[in-house]
Amino acid sequence: MTDKDTRIAIYRTMYTAQAWELALMRLIDEGLAPPSYHPGRGSEGSEVGATLALRKSDYLLYDHRGMSHIIAKGTPLKALFGDFLGNSFGTTRGLGAGIVHVADPDNGVLGQSGTLGGSQLIAAGAALSSKIRKTDQVTMCFFGDGAANRGTFHEAANAAGAWKLPLIFVIQNNGWAVSTSTEQATGGRYVDRAHGYGFVGEWVDGADAFAVHDVAQRAVDRARRGEGATLIEVKTVRLTGHYAGDPQAYRTTDDKELAATQDPIVLARAKLIELGDLDEEGVTDLELEARAAVDVAAEEAKPGIQPTADRIDQYIYA
Amino acid sequence: MPRTISYSQAINEALTEEMERDERVVLMGEDVGRMGGIFGVTPGIYEKFGADRAIDTPISEMLIVGGAVGMAITGLRPVAELQFADFIFNAADETFSKMSKWRYMHGGQFTVPMVLRLPEGATGGGGAEHSQCPEAALLEHPGSHIVVASNPADAKGLLKAAIRDDNPVAFFEHKGLYAMKGEVPDGDHLVEIGKADIKRQGTDVTIVAWGKMVGLSLKAAEQLQKQGISAEVLDTRGLRPLDTEAIFASIEKTGRLIIAQEAPKSGGGASEIAAIVAEEALDLLEAPIIRVGAMDVPIPQNAMLEALVLPTSADIERAAISMLR
Repeated sequence: MTDKDTRIAIYRTMYTAQAWELALMRLIDEGLAPPSYHPGRGSEGSEVGATLALRKSDYLLYDHRGMSHIIAKGTPLKALFGDFLGNSFGTTRGLGAGIVHVADPDNGVLGQSGTLGGSQLIAAGAALSSKIRKTDQVTMCFFGDGAANRGTFHEAANAAGAWKLPLIFVIQNNGWAVSTSTEQATGGRYVDRAHGYGFVGEWVDGADAFAVHDVAQRAVDRARRGEGATLIEVKTVRLTGHYAGDPQAYRTTDDKELAATQDPIVLARAKLIELGDLDEEGVTDLELEARAAVDVAAEEAKPGIQPTADRIDQYIYA
Repeated sequence: MPRTISYSQAINEALTEEMERDERVVLMGEDVGRMGGIFGVTPGIYEKFGADRAIDTPISEMLIVGGAVGMAITGLRPVAELQFADFIFNAADETFSKMSKWRYMHGGQFTVPMVLRLPEGATGGGGAEHSQCPEAALLEHPGSHIVVASNPADAKGLLKAAIRDDNPVAFFEHKGLYAMKGEVPDGDHLVEIGKADIKRQGTDVTIVAWGKMVGLSLKAAEQLQKQGISAEVLDTRGLRPLDTEAIFASIEKTGRLIIAQEAPKSGGGASEIAAIVAEEALDLLEAPIIRVGAMDVPIPQNAMLEALVLPTSADIERAAISMLR
């Protein structure tokens, strides 16, 4: 079970991620950031609950939905705004412009494969690397129900099973691969695949961030003890469209309304108060602090310098 | 004292020496460990360095390349092998995008110090999917070097240099050269990547080639000599970086250019070099460029037909004669 401090940290990080995303939406509205963003509302419980089970030296391969996992891993908020503004404050100092290629090696954030699913293989390599180097680092790799159906998953998962890699696959199953539902596109349950590869599979409801953390902590502990990989299937909800501005005509009203009752941030807030971790005033203070930190980061990131043509051929070769 | 060893022994020595020198260097691929490789190139490495550094992988090409990228950005220097260079297409996204572009895409925050070993070429009956020389497939994906060794000394020196390079290197080894013997210098023999080698001096025509075509070009040059034609043979040692200065310097002398490759004539390295020369050094030429390559057909599995499809030294010879007539 999570302790009080962990629960508060999870809530603070989820709330911060939500505030970060709202601030990004404002930057998009102002025309300062490109509108190609895949909102993470609804998956904060999964991304924060799982990532906070990692250490700074552990590796993260995040997915495209939201920024909660990257924020939870410790990448500074200002740098993340800089990435979306495409300016010198970004982790890529303006070379990337958006979520796909945020990287922060000091915090173990190894970047992302733009072709989703490609990160599964990079993650397998990172996990094999820590095993060969005899460190106790764990690698966590997020992807959605859509990317779970790529062949890359099979090759990575098979290696993870064969070599008992310290690797955790987190499948965020929000039921939708862009516009195609899981029922239409997937045979069997994702969590059951783990058995076929010879490692542990756990299913958890992402509406309960604290439960996600418990499952992830067990997986991390197993990996660190050399007991191999885990596949965690987290049921998440997509509270928004696939991308900012997606009209979601393929989705029923009932589905969207049901999803709205599964907001992990709303549920975690109620739980904190119910358990007596914080009272209403304490939660409100935390939220104000988080929002203030986000607003400061957004303002500080704005004056960054856009890259000029001399950056185009920089870093192609070492 | 230089020793005479085979191309495959040269590769084995390069791997062994670099693995001894740097514990971050690991070998991985299908059957490279316990078996010593299906072409017998890596025997002894598993015995010497163990299962953690001579890794027998599953039949998972995407994992071999993508996994090597993950290893390379986390402190190792993997030498990954795809059993046949043709399998580059089974791991296309991992080779062309992950390996070649991870550094650039993430703003230079990583280096990807890995070598991808790629046994290439037709050897009599491998068929259309096990005989290709897909060096040029990487050309439109900047971020990796494309190296091809034509002889044992280069195989050793270029591979050692590739392993020490902080960039990803696609290292093509022609299967038909594994048994080739040649002198290899003793000691820490390194060959600079991207520097062309003039294999034979000449004044009438320049033959640019790499890999197995270098030997065929030298054979053609000998025959041409008997007919009073002096051919210069330039081994590019790969396609990227390309030593265009050396190519221009040679055609400045000869005024004529033949580019020989084993891959089908269309869309290969020869086309790229021809285009570069046409754009940047056309005024040095006294005759149209000739590309020599395989016929534009799938490599037939029947070895008799394969031999008819592949470029020969006689093809190069004929090309030179046609230019000078």
